[in-house]
Amino acid sequence: MTVDLRKDFVTYAKSLNKASEDPNIRTAIGRAVTSYRETVAETLERFPHTPALALEVQEIKRQSIANLDQLLEQAMASVERNKGKAFYAKDHETALELALSIIGTGKTVVKGKSMLGEELHLREYLEEKGNEVWETDLGEFILQLRKERPMHILSPSIHVPREQVAEVFSKFFGKEVPPDIAEEVKVVREFMREKYFTADVGISGANVVAADTGAMVIIENEGNVRLATGAPPVHIVMVGIEKLVPTFQDAMKVAEVTWRYAQYGVPGYVNIVSGPSKTGDIEKVTTYGAHGPKEFYVIFVDNGRSDMAKDEKFSQALHCLRCGGCMYECPVFQVTAGHFGHIYMGGIGTIWTAFVSGGMEKAAPLIHSCLRCGRCVERCPMSIEVPAMVGELRKRVIYGE
Amino acid sequence: MVEGMKMPAVLDILSDNIIKYGNPLALKGPQVAAWAKGLDLPVKGDLLFYTGGEYQLLPFIDTLVKTITHIDTGSKAFSMMMGVRKVINKTGINAEKIYASVLAKDKDRYNSICFKAAKVLQGLGYEFCYSGNEELYSGALLYELGYMEDMKDYVQKVAGVIKESGAKTIVCLSPHAAEVFKFVYPKLVEGFDLEIRTFVELVWERRDKLAKSQTTGAVVIHDSCRLARELGIHQELRDILESVGVEVKEAPQNREWTSCCGGPIKMLFPELSHVIGSRRVDELKASGTDHILTSCPYCLSALEGGLAKNDPAIVEDLIELLYRGVKA
Repeated sequence: MTVDLRKDFVTYAKSLNKASEDPNIRTAIGRAVTSYRETVAETLERFPHTPALALEVQEIKRQSIANLDQLLEQAMASVERNKGKAFYAKDHETALELALSIIGTGKTVVKGKSMLGEELHLREYLEEKGNEVWETDLGEFILQLRKERPMHILSPSIHVPREQVAEVFSKFFGKEVPPDIAEEVKVVREFMREKYFTADVGISGANVVAADTGAMVIIENEGNVRLATGAPPVHIVMVGIEKLVPTFQDAMKVAEVTWRYAQYGVPGYVNIVSGPSKTGDIEKVTTYGAHGPKEFYVIFVDNGRSDMAKDEKFSQALHCLRCGGCMYECPVFQVTAGHFGHIYMGGIGTIWTAFVSGGMEKAAPLIHSCLRCGRCVERCPMSIEVPAMVGELRKRVIYGE
Repeated sequence: MVEGMKMPAVLDILSDNIIKYGNPLALKGPQVAAWAKGLDLPVKGDLLFYTGGEYQLLPFIDTLVKTITHIDTGSKAFSMMMGVRKVINKTGINAEKIYASVLAKDKDRYNSICFKAAKVLQGLGYEFCYSGNEELYSGALLYELGYMEDMKDYVQKVAGVIKESGAKTIVCLSPHAAEVFKFVYPKLVEGFDLEIRTFVELVWERRDKLAKSQTTGAVVIHDSCRLARELGIHQELRDILESVGVEVKEAPQNREWTSCCGGPIKMLFPELSHVIGSRRVDELKASGTDHILTSCPYCLSALEGGLAKNDPAIVEDLIELLYRGVKA
């Protein structure tokens, strides 16, 4: 069967054109790009060991991706040893079904920001199954209310100015919320607090996972992940298998490089979670669910990642730390934000779209809108050769694969 | 299972033209080589002057985009992708029609850039040959757009023409040609071991022989992505300008951090390409001068296109600036 993509190209071109005329995108991305470049330059000066550490992390990632099967087995065993439950989901459907089997229906779920969650349409799925699901990250929460998709992996609501936030908040909270950022943050804080402590389940992703210890490292600034993963009685981690590294020490290196290129000297919070909450304070009898969750689950999601790992032309795309730096440097992204993307965005996003989130049909128009200018490679702490991969995907589009 | 994807027609047209006619827009050899009339360049020699027809085709690219986009008043994108075959048949563009609508001044300007480049190099004492009507486009677009299987066959033809010249070194005007000759050809053509240089490098080596420029005021350099990042050439441009006594102001994003001109997606996403070009023009003007200088045919065309109406800014190629010194 031949798929006619010409209309998709037209629709896509129109969405790019529309985005390029959006004054909100222009103002917000303009500000974000300037601030990103300034802050990264300043933090790299403050922590000059970072580029060398990034090279070390490149090697850690290379070896990890080459040994994924083994790391996965080890990590799952570690989680079980820590009295958590570990699962492996080969594909999208299995991942969702596993989550559902833990959560069930009629529950309240608080969720941290996760690109994997976007990839799986996790919130929508759980809602459909009769659950109340709250995005606790402020940007994601705004998008949840606006029924929109993220426009940046780290700053999902980058395109929404305070006036529009006030508008959607006033409507949702049923009271006048002024277009004042501090006030906007405050109303969400009050609303979300109640949710954290009444929720049945907290869901998070992880930035990196140490196979030797089963430690999940989650970087954040708002403190929402701390609460969402600490307050409810159940914590589920859903994480892509590409986040696995051999040791705890490796994980720390990966984490530091990730946040540094995500423009933080040091993030507000680094959560390290490796099992359910426990205490032995009374008679040295270990009891689970002390202050934190009593149950701890990890779902390792493949969904095309191991195919990518086995393809020598693309395995390097799994090294992506999701720092978001490349997007700020991408001339197409600067003009169109997340419209240059399907779920995953920017040049690297086209590769992820092809393999894990949409396939070649969805990826083809994106692939052809990349300039192959190569500035993303300059920025990328992992030096991922996106232009070469885009070239290879174009070849596969032309000749079939 | 998806076996094939039907892609926008413009992709097939470009690749077919390259494969069949040796030029993305099916320009004929004599059109491409017209600039060299009267120079009497030999066809054989140690150093081969290579244009690839790239500067020559610039006015046609823009006119092609304009011609096609004017057919459908509803949407430019729509006509580029769906209706392109209305004006262009499968075997190539209606060159006469496109040709006729190109402004004479654009045609003259872009055509003369090769002539000017040749004169600049001759002025520096370089002797070179040129393949004339036989010269073929490098195939860089086949490589860019993913037509790698076709590229494998096509490069053999190009390499054949180059071999005829007996040259040991190629000097490329376009960084895109230099990139494929340097990094792609050796993998596809057995024994392709020519030394690949750019116009910029040859000028740089003899920059002390350049006459002082009469250009007044400062210029800002738009580093071409290929030149700055793939080929690592950016300081050379600054050195050359220093030698001819032209002050250089720097844009916030320059050298290996240069911003793309938007050119590469012009055929599929013309409006977006235009926005990216005009944003880059703004960025360049933030340097404090309105005189923009580049060294790549596509950057030249895209930045020129990115100028707002009545914008007094000047966009020109390094070749054009240097040629003014030759004439003096």
